[in-house]
Amino acid sequence: MTEYVRDICDTVISTLKGMRITGKHLVRKPVTLQYPDERWVLPERFKGFIINETARCDGCLRCAKVCPVGCIYIETTGKGKDRFMHRYAVDYNKCIWCGLCTVECPTGACQHSLDYDHSLYDRKRLVYEFVDPRQPIPCHKARRLELGYYVPDADPGPEKGE
Amino acid sequence: MELMTDLFGKIFGDGLSPTGLLIAGGLTMALIMSLVMALCAIVFTWTERKVAGFIQSRYGPMRVGRFHGVLQPVADMVKILGKEDIIPAEADKPLFMLAPLIIFIGSLLAWAAIPFAPGFIAADLDLGLFYIFAVSSGAVAGILMAGWASNNKWALYGAARGAAQMVSYEIPLALSCIPVVMLTGSLNMNDIVINQQGGIWNWYVFHDPFLFLAFMLYFVASIAEVNRGPFDMPETESELVAGYHVEYTGMRFAFFFLAEYANLFLVSCIATAVFLGGWHPVAGPVVLPGLVFVIKAVLLVLLQMWVRWTLPRLRVDQLMHTCWKVMVPLTLLCVLGAGIWMMATGELG
Repeated sequence: MTEYVRDICDTVISTLKGMRITGKHLVRKPVTLQYPDERWVLPERFKGFIINETARCDGCLRCAKVCPVGCIYIETTGKGKDRFMHRYAVDYNKCIWCGLCTVECPTGACQHSLDYDHSLYDRKRLVYEFVDPRQPIPCHKARRLELGYYVPDADPGPEKGE
Repeated sequence: MELMTDLFGKIFGDGLSPTGLLIAGGLTMALIMSLVMALCAIVFTWTERKVAGFIQSRYGPMRVGRFHGVLQPVADMVKILGKEDIIPAEADKPLFMLAPLIIFIGSLLAWAAIPFAPGFIAADLDLGLFYIFAVSSGAVAGILMAGWASNNKWALYGAARGAAQMVSYEIPLALSCIPVVMLTGSLNMNDIVINQQGGIWNWYVFHDPFLFLAFMLYFVASIAEVNRGPFDMPETESELVAGYHVEYTGMRFAFFFLAEYANLFLVSCIATAVFLGGWHPVAGPVVLPGLVFVIKAVLLVLLQMWVRWTLPRLRVDQLMHTCWKVMVPLTLLCVLGAGIWMMATGELG
């Protein structure tokens, strides 16, 4: 008999305790962010879409080689001092956002941005081109110095771009 | 129905005979009650989703309609009307089509005896409370029909459990209202409400501890009666693949939902009328009786929703144990206790 009464009391008390907890949840502000009106403040090292600052890129191909899925497409013409890079593209259909390319890049051209919302309707538009084919980027250090492109350990000179 | 017949009398003067007035008043009240049922479904589906959302630390519907997704039920209605009406191949067609209607009618009929305001009751029966409980039992037949006619074992399981549950919980539901009937001396809903006038301490729920217990038991039994909250084993999504309404699509399914939310508001209205003083305000003279009644009923509905999103589901044997071994003895105790209290305080004539 006492167990019967104790069971009833336990049920009622635990129900009331549960309702107190849900009651507290009911009256406080929800944790949801109303995207796209409200967005999360991103941390500094957030791994967003990869961007390539073509002013600093010297076509060393390290990012393309280290990429595990082969999503960086680089095309160069010429040899030696006349080597120019006329296409640098990142294929976001394949990219896995591992960031290995940013680790490998010696000049700091390949970086993560803070972008993440690039939904599109057409898959082909997910291949991002960074180099204008009418203005190919010189790859050889001497030519870069000549044309005023960024070279890491050169004498200070005017830097094109940032 | 006096309000309606008076209104029609004023509009038509001597143009309508007394029978004509009765018919016109009756039809209008029936129309209003159907509108109230539809309104329940619309308002309470939105309320349920918002309450569930906030309890789970999220917002619920936010996009449809300018403010917090208020037009979400409208969008849902349009969606459900556009769905294909599928009837299983081996299903019992007449029963299949009739089942949602019977459940809906079982709910609609009970609305006839709810006292919203003085004079605004569709049928002022001397048997009001008894009629309500009798008529809402009709829905059990509808559930069994739905389960059988679906030609689906899971639907039948759900229907059998649902019918067993509804029939069992009607006993504590009715028994917990007996102390109130003893106090009033009548089953007439208007009399029950009028007897509770004079401020909050005259409400039956605060009359004596046994009546307070009776109100608690009524509340729990009403949640079980509506197949809601921790007692929704017959229609669970995870265990029984939605139970007895698994084979229903589109508007037929919407009927089940409509009936469920209308039933929810119905049992809250009964609790308000019987235990919480009906249209009488907390203190002071009777002002806007319909609004006071509806506000109290809505608060009870919110309480039911709060309970639903707090507690885990009861297993079917736990459900039956609770009904027969806990609630029925306790309600009988309430009847006994309330009777002794009334004798002791000399209220029984």
